[in-house]
Amino acid sequence: MKSMTWSLLASLLMLGVGAGCQRSARQAEGAPLTIGVAFETLQTEFWVASIEAFRAEAKARGITLLEAIADGDANRQLEQIKNFISRRVDGIIAVPKDAQTIIPMIRAAHQAQIPMVLYNRPPDPSDAPSITVVADNYSLTKATVSYMAEQALQTGELHPAMILIGDLGDINAIGRRDGFEDAIRPHTNLIQVVSRIPTEWNLEKAQAGVVNALQAHPGIRFIFTSSDFLLPAIVSALKSTGRYHKIGQPGHIILGGFDGDATAYRMLEEGYLDATGVQDVQFEVVSSIQAILDSRAGKPVAAVIKDPGFVIHQGNLKEMASRMWGAGIARQRRP
Amino acid sequence: MTPATRHPWLIVLNQAPVVLFLAVLALFGARSAQFLQPDNLVNILIQSSSTAMVAIGMTFVLLTAGVDLSVGSMMFVGAALAGKLALQGYPLLLSILAMILAGLLGGALNALFVTRLRIAPFIVTLATLYLGRGLGLWITQTRAMNLPESFLHLGAGRWLGIPIPLVILGTVLLIAHIVLQHTPFGRQIYATGQDIETARKAGLRTGRILASVYIVSGACAALGGLISLTQLGAVSPTFGAQKEFAAIAAAVLGGTSLFGGRGRVFPGTLLGAVLIQTVENGLVILNADPYLYPLVTSAIIFVAVSLDCLRQRLVERLSRRLIRPV
Repeated sequence: MKSMTWSLLASLLMLGVGAGCQRSARQAEGAPLTIGVAFETLQTEFWVASIEAFRAEAKARGITLLEAIADGDANRQLEQIKNFISRRVDGIIAVPKDAQTIIPMIRAAHQAQIPMVLYNRPPDPSDAPSITVVADNYSLTKATVSYMAEQALQTGELHPAMILIGDLGDINAIGRRDGFEDAIRPHTNLIQVVSRIPTEWNLEKAQAGVVNALQAHPGIRFIFTSSDFLLPAIVSALKSTGRYHKIGQPGHIILGGFDGDATAYRMLEEGYLDATGVQDVQFEVVSSIQAILDSRAGKPVAAVIKDPGFVIHQGNLKEMASRMWGAGIARQRRP
Repeated sequence: MTPATRHPWLIVLNQAPVVLFLAVLALFGARSAQFLQPDNLVNILIQSSSTAMVAIGMTFVLLTAGVDLSVGSMMFVGAALAGKLALQGYPLLLSILAMILAGLLGGALNALFVTRLRIAPFIVTLATLYLGRGLGLWITQTRAMNLPESFLHLGAGRWLGIPIPLVILGTVLLIAHIVLQHTPFGRQIYATGQDIETARKAGLRTGRILASVYIVSGACAALGGLISLTQLGAVSPTFGAQKEFAAIAAAVLGGTSLFGGRGRVFPGTLLGAVLIQTVENGLVILNADPYLYPLVTSAIIFVAVSLDCLRQRLVERLSRRLIRPV
């Protein structure tokens, strides 16, 4: 029995040493690297555009990409990341389910000395070291809403306003809400927030909320949505009340969003949307992969790499559209 | 009416959903005059119609002591299919038929696993929840689909002055109410839910009854999805997500027991669905703090479930036989 235990231990040790040797040999020979990408979900266009950009970037750099989707389940994501660790990948990029459940996963990757980058969602503060590449949700929203406010102030008229808030458990949604509130605060004499709708990132809830708010406050003239994917809910509510008008037409409601998806691009082109804050998918993807490579090379990497994004509006649509990820999708869809 | 059912507390507790609904109406009405405006009340009814439709199907399933967690996914698959067809230029009617067919097939799949393979409804419908969501994402390729205007026109249309979503809901509600309360099939559903073994021994074909309720639930989910589509005019990758919870909550708020054998679609389930939407509407009108929404909604569900529990205990106490005469 004793000898069997020793044989087992010896085999495990050899396997471990073997894996370690394999890894160092791969590093030394400059063999292609393997990066595990663990997405929480693919349920919005933004995540699909992101994973496609990861595939393209990895291919261009000769990196092998392992993909895992957790379908909104934090436990499944933990298992997927453990699986990456046991396969001794060279780096992990994760879109966490939330800011808390990712912390044990960061610790596990750190213990295995595998660099880990969190894509687009930062973790809660903890002693677990990680790198986060994230859009500056607060500043980008503030810039977008400030642009919208300028349009409102030019009229010199009172603008009752509405905001569609995302999931209150999502730190990005909170950043966007705070950016909106701070952009509006200096102009409360002309822009008054009369409705704050919690949507839980649900289109049907958003639509009901907008209809309810328009019923309660028919004078609403300023709407900001925390994500462009909720725009169809606003459009349908405005159409059903006969209030969907182009910029410059009487009765136009100042509309703004965040993300830069295909619907937003189409609405900008058609002249219904005033502005949207665009997350720079390409910047975030390239920065994530570069952060893994730099970490492995022992170079210093900032704990948080912020994507400044940009505001796209009627004034700069032509020059900025090529950097808007949704514009590419919208063009692909055209017959 | 037996002496037990004449007990004053039992009469009040039996009407708990109505009492709760009136209390919520009074509360919001007192805070905002706009809340009780006829336009707003119609608006609440229209917004409730999708959840109410799905909850009608869910009530059928709950009455047999089962559960259908796949309704949101069935909505999504149907909507994705309808959207795809509509965007390829097929007529609106064909898209709608495809949607209903998808719901029926989804329900039939649940029925097959529950009745033939005897797998617990919770497990079967959890599996079809994931299956449906995956299928929907595959059909849509995770892209939002903006549908032709004809969908929105359908939602905004009226028949004899009644909004189309309410016409669809009213028709299905009437049929469901008649089936449950006035047909032998309805009575068999209640009997199966109260005690499936006894029902089987009494000669009821419980397998067929169980299969039928899952098919009804699938069809109602598809129709609920149709109503949502006519309101939104778009299919997003999260379409129908978590609708199962709203439907179960509506049925339970309306007095349907999770243990089967008790509940009504009218007024019960309808009231439950309208109550949930009324709370959301009232909170928006009052511009309440967004953090309050889940707290208030869950408090109301908690009160409704507690009242139901009290009712159950009272019924048990009143129907207990005295072993020794006093």
